[in-house]
Amino acid sequence: MKKIIEVEHLTKTYRQKRAVDDLSFQVYEGEILGLLGPNGSGKSTTINCILSLLSFEHGSIKIFGEKMHPNNYAVKRNIGVVFQDVALFDELTVYDNIDYFCGLYIKDKTMRKEYILDALKLVGLEEFVKFYPKQLSGGLLRRLNIACGIAHKPKIIFLDEPTVAVDPQSRNNILSGIEHLRKNGATIIYTTHYMEEVEILCDRIIILDKGKIIASGTSDNLKSLANIEEKITVEDVDMSDKKLEKIKDLKNVENVLYCNNTLVITYKKGKNNLPTFIDFLKSEKINYQKIFSERPTLNDVFLELTGKELRD
Amino acid sequence: MFIHNFKYAFKTLFKNKVLIFWTFAFPIILGTFFYMAFSDIEENEKLDVFAIGLVEDVISEQNTMFKEAFESLSEEGENQLFDIDYVDIDEAKALLRDKDIEGYVVLQEGVPTVVVGENGINETILQFVVNEMIEKNILMKDYFQYKPDEMMSFLEKVQSFAVNIKDVSNQNMSYTMVEYYTLIAMVCLYGGVLSLHAMNQNLANMSNKGKRISVCPNSKGILILSSLLASFVIQLIGLGLLFFYLICFLHVDFGDRFFFIFLLAIVGSLAGLSLGVIISSTIKQNEDVKTGIVIAFTMLGSFLSGMMGITMKYIIDKNVPIINYLNPVNMITDGFYSLYYYDSLNRYWFNVISLFLFTGGMLIISVLFLRRQKYDSI
Amino acid sequence: MIVFKTVLKILNRCKMPIFIYTIFLVFFGGFNMKTQDDALGFNASKPDVFIVNEDIDKGITKDFILYMNEVSHIVSLKKEEVDDALFYRDVNYVIYIPKDFGKDFMLGKNPQLLVKSTGDYQASLASMQVEKYMRLANLYLDINKNEDALLALVHENLEQQADIVLATTLDTSSLDKATFYYNFTNYCILAGCIYVICLVLSSFRKDVILKRTSVSGMNIKKHSWYLMISNSVFSLFLWFIYVLLSFLLIGKAMFSFHGLIYILNSLLFTFCALSIAFFISSLVRNKEAVNGIVNVIALGSSFLCGAFVPAEFLPKFVINIAHILPSYWFIQTNEIVKSLEVINFSTLKPILINSLVLFLFSLLFIGLSLKKNRRV
Repeated sequence: MKKIIEVEHLTKTYRQKRAVDDLSFQVYEGEILGLLGPNGSGKSTTINCILSLLSFEHGSIKIFGEKMHPNNYAVKRNIGVVFQDVALFDELTVYDNIDYFCGLYIKDKTMRKEYILDALKLVGLEEFVKFYPKQLSGGLLRRLNIACGIAHKPKIIFLDEPTVAVDPQSRNNILSGIEHLRKNGATIIYTTHYMEEVEILCDRIIILDKGKIIASGTSDNLKSLANIEEKITVEDVDMSDKKLEKIKDLKNVENVLYCNNTLVITYKKGKNNLPTFIDFLKSEKINYQKIFSERPTLNDVFLELTGKELRD
Repeated sequence: MFIHNFKYAFKTLFKNKVLIFWTFAFPIILGTFFYMAFSDIEENEKLDVFAIGLVEDVISEQNTMFKEAFESLSEEGENQLFDIDYVDIDEAKALLRDKDIEGYVVLQEGVPTVVVGENGINETILQFVVNEMIEKNILMKDYFQYKPDEMMSFLEKVQSFAVNIKDVSNQNMSYTMVEYYTLIAMVCLYGGVLSLHAMNQNLANMSNKGKRISVCPNSKGILILSSLLASFVIQLIGLGLLFFYLICFLHVDFGDRFFFIFLLAIVGSLAGLSLGVIISSTIKQNEDVKTGIVIAFTMLGSFLSGMMGITMKYIIDKNVPIINYLNPVNMITDGFYSLYYYDSLNRYWFNVISLFLFTGGMLIISVLFLRRQKYDSI
Repeated sequence: MIVFKTVLKILNRCKMPIFIYTIFLVFFGGFNMKTQDDALGFNASKPDVFIVNEDIDKGITKDFILYMNEVSHIVSLKKEEVDDALFYRDVNYVIYIPKDFGKDFMLGKNPQLLVKSTGDYQASLASMQVEKYMRLANLYLDINKNEDALLALVHENLEQQADIVLATTLDTSSLDKATFYYNFTNYCILAGCIYVICLVLSSFRKDVILKRTSVSGMNIKKHSWYLMISNSVFSLFLWFIYVLLSFLLIGKAMFSFHGLIYILNSLLFTFCALSIAFFISSLVRNKEAVNGIVNVIALGSSFLCGAFVPAEFLPKFVINIAHILPSYWFIQTNEIVKSLEVINFSTLKPILINSLVLFLFSLLFIGLSLKKNRRV
């Protein structure tokens, strides 16, 4: 696969705090790369460095094999960015906002018009063309923000937390829009601290913490790092210490946790763990309300690697 | 690209209510206030009639003449000057104390005495009138003594005589003109608010929009230039509107050197533009603070160049001239004054060139700051 | 207490404008008080006159110059500096005496004098003196054609002047200054109060914050009450600074009954400005609009009510409009104090009336803003 972005040994210090620490990674053509990390882990800084907005001490950044530079217009032409903060003109209508930003890339007016309509359709704002940003709800505003960043059909798209504080409907709309963009051939770098989104959307994930990469790979790759295979939770259950000891001795059981009438059992390996456990409960005549089994999440991975939760 | 950006910069600036208020509406409102406050000082309207007391201490032929003269000045009609209370000395004192009269005249032996309560215009008028009466009175007496038979023709001559003085003053600055000039200068510099806003939209470390614009494949210089041009055009429209309002509604007469006035206003606007540019590019604060700085700078400059009283300008010019050489508001107003006042254009051109130097200096410093394209933090 | 603290924190963020307004007052007030002393005075200092004499220095020409030397202050300049000197008011009046002036005058030709003037009060004084001399000299020429005898007659007449008595024991120049200063505080207090209070209140009244306060444990009435008190404390502070400044700038005259009236009057006006600020803040929620509104209101009432241009110079219709503005009543009181000689009930009555009107204005604005707030 073709490398589209190459970041090598990127280091950036902010007021004596290492925001990005010796970061190296590549982005391949056509993939959706997720940059996952808690707030302040250096995701936005990394993107701003790649875009040549921020200066940095060490490292090199290449896009399409060329060194990135503020005046490298050929490269810039193929990039679309959706920043975390809404960047729109309050004085312009929805249509004019997109037209302005799109016009910075595309000169031809008829072509631009088509592109704008495509963008409007993509984010589902066709009915709001004449509205002003102040008249839009938070979710719609976010969608407009995205439309402004991607209307010129760039080959690389940076999406910096586009779904923060967005209602579920808009969120679904945004996520399906991103999927659509990829289908049309765009390479997408997506930062977020919502692991569910990353799991659904991304081909490859890089987990950042304190400016460093702590893990990278596909979702399944990463989950293997979590050191657990399965987690069984039983709710509203009465357990005695004796019975807990018995569970610990069951096959494959790694750890047992009992608290507030909820029982959590983690397994490192094995198959048919759930049926086996249900049989055990039956034989012991233990009553319970609910039982379910989970595969590990990226949060578990993060927890395993850093000892803290992804969302603070 | 230039035109595309220009179009939208124009649109966004024009639709920004706050900016338009400061550059379009506020000067017109202020101009109206000036007009209302100063219109009477200029048009020497008929003097207001005011009350005085007349105390006839000694009855004499001469005093009867004075009394008659006063009476004629208190007759109702066009020439009425006084409302006269004929009182005795104690009443006069009481009336003056209670501010019922502005002053009183005591007709006594020899010349009358004028007693007034405070220093003011009416008091000065009273003094002037009494002195003129005395002068005429003596003149009559002398004439009567030397040439009694030609009295009639002399009386006519006294009435009709005009002193042959020709005032060849350069146009004198009226207070109102000074105000209007500083007003125009202020509008020129308020343009800085527009250029500041236009700049901020393009700078990644100032606005989110700026970030977006910074990642697009266009030269920052061209984008900034076209945004600034848009702000300049809006500024000129505002200026045009103000001139229109002043000339058509407030009937301000800018004389026959209108072209020079307009040229100076345009150059002044450039200086204002450069002020906004340098503040936006060198000071790292949010936009409100920067706008505050532009407005404060303008107000201070206006004040130092005589907006709240021309004396201020004289004091600065004479004692610390360097301040006003560096003060763009003063360069503009001083240019206006010199145009009004001097026949030669030397001083005018000096000011125009100063403004160009100011503008150039500001822009060069700004460019040095703007050349940096990456930021340490945003 | 927490409300008060928050108000202080917000205030701390807008200390710049407060600072600027205050600097303005000191600068403008201080400088102008120094310069305007002789601008409108009755016993004004002599005008500065420059005479360019092309005639021979004898006879009537010489006498005229001597006379001008007596009644005005003759300055020496270079001829080419005349325009600049007039521009900077270094000289008020320039007289050009043409060649053969004396000769032509004695022949009864009434020769022409050229003059240049600054067109101000001083210049018109000089002009009056010149006219007076020339008029008398010309008219006496009918009586006596002998130059010496003529000049004697003219001088005899010129010497006869009305005695002027200024029947006041007041330190008028200090009181003039004080009135000028306090009139100017009209702008500063209005602008300061409205600006700051609108900013603070608009922060508190932002929809979300208002909702949050409403659902908090604090009694909403109590909360508004605290807000009012905090803002009043700020206004008092502002007032206190200006009063303190007046003592520094004006000095002794402030330690008198007159000074007390100035101070009390400005206190009452501060209260009124506070009420206006409350009213405006109840109408305007937009922070950006505050700046514009402040300037229009503060400058408007200062110009129309005589804070910048003395009320006696204002056109009648402007004064009539001014009656509906609180500033007018505040400024009127200052003007009365300036020449307040005897202090008794009848002389204080107009001041009391002005104060009452100011007070009623305050009540009106408070009432209006309360009514407005209840609806929201």
